[in-house]
Amino acid sequence: MLKEDFVIQTNVRRILIRGNVDYSEITFGTVRGVVYLRGIFRLARIYTEANAESIEFTMKNLQSLEKKIKSIPGVVDIVFEFINWQKEKGQWVSKNLQENG
Amino acid sequence: MGFEEFAGKRLNVKWLPLYQRILAEVEKEIEIHPNYADLQNQFGLLLAMKEEWTGAESHLLKALHLNPRYREAILNLGHLYIEMERWKEAEGIFLSESRKHPKDGFLHHILGTFYLQTGRWRGAGFHLRKAVQYYPYYRDYYKKKRVWQKGKVHLDEKTGSIFRKIHLNYHYAQFHNFIGLYLARKRKATQAIRELQKAAKLQPDQFLFHSNLGTVYYHQGAYQKAIQEYKQALKIDPLYGMGYANLSYVYGLMRRTREALGHMERAVRLNPRYADLHYNLALLYSDRSRYEKAISELKKALRINPNYLFARINLGVLYEDQKKWKEARREYRKVLQITPEDEQLRKRLERIS
Repeated sequence: MLKEDFVIQTNVRRILIRGNVDYSEITFGTVRGVVYLRGIFRLARIYTEANAESIEFTMKNLQSLEKKIKSIPGVVDIVFEFINWQKEKGQWVSKNLQENG
Repeated sequence: MGFEEFAGKRLNVKWLPLYQRILAEVEKEIEIHPNYADLQNQFGLLLAMKEEWTGAESHLLKALHLNPRYREAILNLGHLYIEMERWKEAEGIFLSESRKHPKDGFLHHILGTFYLQTGRWRGAGFHLRKAVQYYPYYRDYYKKKRVWQKGKVHLDEKTGSIFRKIHLNYHYAQFHNFIGLYLARKRKATQAIRELQKAAKLQPDQFLFHSNLGTVYYHQGAYQKAIQEYKQALKIDPLYGMGYANLSYVYGLMRRTREALGHMERAVRLNPRYADLHYNLALLYSDRSRYEKAISELKKALRINPNYLFARINLGVLYEDQKKWKEARREYRKVLQITPEDEQLRKRLERIS
């Protein structure tokens, strides 16, 4: 399997820039086919995640992002280390919502 | 949608629906983020386009109050004063900028054309010569305008009149550039490209317009066109380091890593303080099994940003490859102190412990 980290990195970069993601607060790296994403996951031009509609929309975008990155040739795994979102049992969960009960 | 081209004549934008929509959006964003200098600058530019001079001036001054070194806002304000025929203030702005950046050919070009407009031939000749000296691109440009003849600046009433309304091109070009970027954000790539091409046509000496065009083509997946525009931007300004990085990213997407490497090396030479560029260069070296060079670039990235976790992980992996177990463990442990939940890395550490 191809593991050209720079090629993967440029593909991740393009996916982030092209998507709805506010990538100014996300950093990412590629280590032997493993893609790392850290920071705060927010959608551009959505100023609050307080309502159910925004949360649902953000979740769909996270799923789509994950799918797109997985489809890059050479990617063997993705490690998400977002401050405000985490994956639990295959589902994306907002950490803010968890903390607020 | 389409904005008509009137280089040298006033552009009537007041009734264009897209213009009204953008104006309303920027105004709304300013209500949310009143302290964003770029929004104040954008609003000032938009107001200038419909000749609301006082409002435009007030917003550009706000932008400069928030960020006194904001070059785009400084130049917008200078050109606004030209349009308002407040010559002394315009001259003051451009002279002050030129004193801060004496080798900036573009500023000398602005000052040269400013003095032509105000009939001060000596000053015009001086600054146009300086513009050519620091920015050779202008030699061809002035030749086309017949201001540069037989290796000298040639000025008379006829050539002077060519530049009389040229300041309008600056605002229109900035405006088309802004609209182009707005449309690009809305994913209307074809329309965005049209606007950016207008900007580049009005002000062919601005590398930024070509760079923005390159970026829209890059988003669109038109990589050859992106390369062409990035190269044009670099032809105008060969010291624009991020232009080489952008080229490198496009070549990366095309799997042409040899070209990507050459351009990233140049980007790093021009921007040695950007950790991210060192990181990308390290990936390119590592992919080509040039491990010593990769390690050196990762160390540079970490010196600039000690919290650059991915650089540390990559460094650990390279040490591991070279069987430098102690160094690899040290790097992994440092990362796990910050992200203890990283299972991938924990497994790597366990394997070599």
